[in-house]
Amino acid sequence: MSATTVAGRAPAVKKQRGLSDTGLARLFLSPSVLVMALVAAFPIIYAFVLSLYLYQGRLREGFGGLENYTEALTEPRFWDAVKATFIFTITSVSGEFAIGLGFALIMRQAFHGRGITRASILVPWVIPTVIAAQLWYFMFSVTPGFVNHILGLDRFNWLGEPGWAMFSIVFADVWKTAPFVALLLLAGLQTIPDELYESARVDGATTWQRFRFITMPLLKPAILVALLFRTVDALRVFDLPQVMTGGANNTESLSMLVQRFVVVTLDPGFGSALSTLTFILVLMIGVLFVRALGRDFVVGTGGE
Amino acid sequence: MAKDEGAVVETSFWRKFGRYSMLGFILLWCLFPFVWLIDTSLKLGDRALNSPSLTQGPFGLQNYISVFDQGFGYNLRNSAIVAGTTTIVCITVGSLAAYAIARLPLRGKVVILSAILAVALFPSVALVPPLYELWRNLGLLNTYPGLYIPYTAFTLPLTIFILTTFYASIPKDLEEAARVDGATAFQAFYKVVLPLAAPGVFAAAIIVFVYAWNEFLLASTFAPRDLVAQTVPVAIAAFTGSVEFQRPIGTITAACVIVTIPMIIMTLILQRRIVAGLTAGAVKG
Repeated sequence: MSATTVAGRAPAVKKQRGLSDTGLARLFLSPSVLVMALVAAFPIIYAFVLSLYLYQGRLREGFGGLENYTEALTEPRFWDAVKATFIFTITSVSGEFAIGLGFALIMRQAFHGRGITRASILVPWVIPTVIAAQLWYFMFSVTPGFVNHILGLDRFNWLGEPGWAMFSIVFADVWKTAPFVALLLLAGLQTIPDELYESARVDGATTWQRFRFITMPLLKPAILVALLFRTVDALRVFDLPQVMTGGANNTESLSMLVQRFVVVTLDPGFGSALSTLTFILVLMIGVLFVRALGRDFVVGTGGE
Repeated sequence: MAKDEGAVVETSFWRKFGRYSMLGFILLWCLFPFVWLIDTSLKLGDRALNSPSLTQGPFGLQNYISVFDQGFGYNLRNSAIVAGTTTIVCITVGSLAAYAIARLPLRGKVVILSAILAVALFPSVALVPPLYELWRNLGLLNTYPGLYIPYTAFTLPLTIFILTTFYASIPKDLEEAARVDGATAFQAFYKVVLPLAAPGVFAAAIIVFVYAWNEFLLASTFAPRDLVAQTVPVAIAAFTGSVEFQRPIGTITAACVIVTIPMIIMTLILQRRIVAGLTAGAVKG
């Protein structure tokens, strides 16, 4: 083992036979590890270092310790962003889950038209979020006012009212991602053998009982994975509120707040403190999910 | 007797009707907003563009011409280069790592996979302040590498998960036979496994490309205005700018259609592979 610790040196010894398998494994893995370490892990540490300093505009004024953090945690705007992000995450993920599960169950039943439905379900997935945001901005806006037209409302200003602005953003997100959730759940449903349903039917189980005692328990792993990825994704929401409301009417998310302190307000110290807090928050929720999924999930994702 | 049969036919008709109307609802959900987008992009003049009616004319291609007058061609070029580079680098680097995890003897696989998963769960906004400082010092703001480097890091986890699943599904016997015949581990990977994994590699490549093509947060922070590197999503969001209260709906919808149509065509052609890739990355029983 120790002879091949430095993968690059091994060929000199075993030129004829190539690298040992372990050496090759390390060699294959190293570029990925390097990229992720340099671009993901290192900046996190750098952000923490930056967050300990005080800035006046771009100029470093001195070491501030945790001062940026106390300032962030006592800043009402931070808590408003936390609240908006959580409201968005909880409502959009539950909406996507309910509708996605419905779609998946319908598609599992269908024999004719499954192909075209599955193809069309990819359309909202492939549309860039910014485009979905512009699309629904116009749908909900007063002119042309398509949503108002359908609902028979006159000139209701969806994006201008505090609660309804968030509703519109959540709706746009559910439109875009419920089909994606359906796709993941459909793949999970297709792993459940038909025989189970048939024998349950023979035993006299009702549709609800079959759903409750066969579908739900066997679908649980797929559900948890879909919820994990959707929740983490929803917590970092940026595109939709940025384009649809610009953060007005209590729709400013954590990602928007951080980005603003980097691009508009130009305070690397405070911005880094906010980004570090966001990072900790999202990672904590991710860890909770992975705990719930168990160790098998991580190993299982690796194939074997 | 006859009555019973009639009842059976009737319920199955309603059943069928219910099923098809539910499928119809899914199709409507997924496709109607896009149809609306195309319809609006073809409308000309304030009267048509401000009307909720789908048939209010006049119609024409004027909006498409004015999109390109605003330099949208540069944005398309930038997005193609950034997304293309991300895909090539990510697939090259990621397929090696996935093979190592799926097939080669490696200690601490659980630790490696956990670390990769952690990066997958990473909020990209956490990178915005530190990378902005780094890119500013390195002169990478408003450049292609400033975008495709972080994109590669963020798409690597998903690529590795998808490809590991595909590699693991290839029978081991084939490789072992090659090894018995005197092939090295690298030759077994390169000549036996890689060609067989091509569909998986392809699926991963499309998903990476779509991510890089659609990314907005980093793009709007690291390359906000300069046409030298500004990507399509940033441009589409920035059409807002000119007059605060009146977004140019015709131009925006035309730009959206231009970007979306090739992607939808690609998706429809490759749908089986994409679905296989998406579900391999996320669903494991």
